[in-house]
Amino acid sequence: MNKQISSNQERYLNPYLGGVLLGLLVILTVYITGRGLGASGAIKSAVVTTSNIIAPYETQQNGYMGRFVSDDHSPMYNWLVFESLGVLLGGLLSGLLFGRVKKFRIDKGPKITNKKRLIFAVIGGILFGFGSQFGRGCTSGAALSGSATFALGGVIAMFAIFGSGYLFAYFFRKLWI
Amino acid sequence: MKEELFVSGRNIPNIDPYLNIWHWEIPLYLFLGGLAAGLIFFAAYFVVRGKEKEMPATVKWAPMIAPIALIVGLSALFLDLSHKLYFWQLYTTIRFSSPMSWGAWTLLLITPLSMIWVASYMRDMFPKWDWKFKFLYKFEAWVISVRKPFAWVMMILALILGVYTGILLSAFNARPLWNTSILGPLFLVSGFSTGLAAAIWMSKDKNERKVLSRIDLIFIGVELFLIIHLFMGFMAGTAVATEAAALFLGGQFTISFWVFVVLLGLIFPATLETIELWGYHVPKWMPPALILFGGLMFRFVMVEAGQITRFLY
Repeated sequence: MNKQISSNQERYLNPYLGGVLLGLLVILTVYITGRGLGASGAIKSAVVTTSNIIAPYETQQNGYMGRFVSDDHSPMYNWLVFESLGVLLGGLLSGLLFGRVKKFRIDKGPKITNKKRLIFAVIGGILFGFGSQFGRGCTSGAALSGSATFALGGVIAMFAIFGSGYLFAYFFRKLWI
Repeated sequence: MKEELFVSGRNIPNIDPYLNIWHWEIPLYLFLGGLAAGLIFFAAYFVVRGKEKEMPATVKWAPMIAPIALIVGLSALFLDLSHKLYFWQLYTTIRFSSPMSWGAWTLLLITPLSMIWVASYMRDMFPKWDWKFKFLYKFEAWVISVRKPFAWVMMILALILGVYTGILLSAFNARPLWNTSILGPLFLVSGFSTGLAAAIWMSKDKNERKVLSRIDLIFIGVELFLIIHLFMGFMAGTAVATEAAALFLGGQFTISFWVFVVLLGLIFPATLETIELWGYHVPKWMPPALILFGGLMFRFVMVEAGQITRFLY
């Protein structure tokens, strides 16, 4: 592997190869765990746990969050939480191997400030959190794992996520170019 | 000897059926003791090898943590005592069959000696340092003149300290998880590995970090080997031992041990150290921070889980 990586050209895996690897990962996950993978479920567990610590009564009464609280174990006792921990470690390893891990910095378009970038990232994150819970899963849980089982919902989720991404990209292009 | 009458209807709070007497103080102390042992051992080792100049952080800077770690650790240990005013009675006897006696005497020696070690390098590290009194300069010159024998003494004491942090637990024959002879070497290796991690973190020299990382990788390998054998021993043992191991193999400590101690505290930092040795850029705080975290976590898990394991009845 090439260890001499120039400072301004960051390196990533070929996206087509990455896609195939992701597909193989879904097969492996189904083989090992008997179900597909996901990411938003881990965030949901973290949110429910936090909320349950701050306001236990309200959380348990809440029609949505209450379903995930039980006396036996914490909502964090969920394999998706550990899967996400693994994603973090794997991402870090990939970043190190391809020379992307440098000083702490915020990646953004050239024309906007760090503050603006962070504000829009938070807004985007909130929207994605809402969307993933209405759509019963995110890109990995609904679109990837869902379409792997030929579920119509998964295919619709995939087109909805990436289709609306294409549509709205035009309006927000100034954030990146 | 004073006779003691013991009548039990098995209602012994905090001892039966589960031991519930050791809280955060003991694992913290065991961690800091192991850390200090590791720091002192490698500082002394490189002095004996005559590599003082090549390994400045390991020999001079990192040992500064050792006396602090020992004092904080011993304070935690002191806090844990029920009869605080009687601790000095440990020093009224020497018992070779008691790990606690070994530990008490070793700590009595190694704590002041580690301070002298750091003091003897003070003027090397801070050229403007002034000892104020003439006799201190004389003492410093004497310590420097006997540095190699001093280093040998420190190495031996550090070994005893490192092993003692494990033997302290394994001498408990009523707690099956602790009552295994692997615990001594396991805690020694783990403590040395955390000491190396602290030195790697403090080192500014690329070559020094390389040497330390290589040694650390060997120690992590040995530690993993010992952990596997710990569980193989339990699984091949009596029902008491199998039940103790079950806490880690599907029981309540499975995740805290295998995910946080073994994966995050050993395998992942070892991977990072390996790719760093291959020439990739890894933030230098990352592997040592993970190793230190893993070492601390390991002692918390072992102390906590050990108190729950017991003989069947």
